[in-house]
Amino acid sequence: MRLLLAVLSQQRSEWRHGYDLLKDTGLSSGTLYPLLMRMSDNGLVQAEWREPAQPGRPPRHVYRLTANGFALAMELTSGDAALSGKEMLT
Amino acid sequence: MRMSLSQAIMAIATACMGEDRQTWSQAMKAEYHAAAAEGQGLSFAAGCLIAAWREMLGSATGRFVLTSYAVALGIMVPMATIEIGCAVLGFPYLYPDQHGLPGALLVGGSHEALLRPTYLGAIPAMAFIQLMAGAGHLRLAWSLLERDWSSALRWSLWTLAGMTTLVIFMGVFFLDSRQALMQGCVVGIELAILLVIMRRHAELHRFALTEHPG
Repeated sequence: MRLLLAVLSQQRSEWRHGYDLLKDTGLSSGTLYPLLMRMSDNGLVQAEWREPAQPGRPPRHVYRLTANGFALAMELTSGDAALSGKEMLT
Repeated sequence: MRMSLSQAIMAIATACMGEDRQTWSQAMKAEYHAAAAEGQGLSFAAGCLIAAWREMLGSATGRFVLTSYAVALGIMVPMATIEIGCAVLGFPYLYPDQHGLPGALLVGGSHEALLRPTYLGAIPAMAFIQLMAGAGHLRLAWSLLERDWSSALRWSLWTLAGMTTLVIFMGVFFLDSRQALMQGCVVGIELAILLVIMRRHAELHRFALTEHPG
């Protein structure tokens, strides 16, 4: 989930397709979709339907972080940074 | 070949997703086209199938559907096969020691000559009851998967009635009815399982109404 949060938080306001997220995170669809479902259930991710770019194709789902999701992503990132800072000191 | 395999896997994956996840199954299906265009359709579809199965195991509705399929395919369809096989293939399993009808008729026994004509007259009726019980099992399995509870209950009771009749019929003819009795017990257990499944479905339905009223 950290990886997905990190990828989504890089371009917070941008809507992303599931397949693009798959390529950016390197996760399989079997991992990505259950994560997106849970995150959407918990209000961390919002999803919308978008008309397809190519005619004849079905509408596609797009995703982006909610305010709560972005806050969690920042919290985890700062936690990681603090941890790596401690590691550097020791 | 690869394309049609991935499409088939994708179709199974979308079918496996629960009713409450229909939006997500449509989203995965739409994304499949993008993956297939880049030659990644098969791995994407396989992943979606895993995701659908994970969802099934994780949700109460999914577990309910899996239980229904397990009961239908693991108990009811094999029972139907045995019963239809008994009726069509000359009762190889219905009678003790799998010696078929001669074993049950105690061929060579002192009463054989006296009762043989009566037994031979009764065989078509017994085969018919057995065949109907097998067909009833298939219809019961179908109704269970369709969640048509009134039909499932009706077919379960008909099958139980058929097996009870067969046991009584065999008893009247002094035939060893242990195997038929055993099959009748399985039908009784199936009825009990069906009642539990029906109750569970009603609970899930009530829960869904409480969660999403209207």
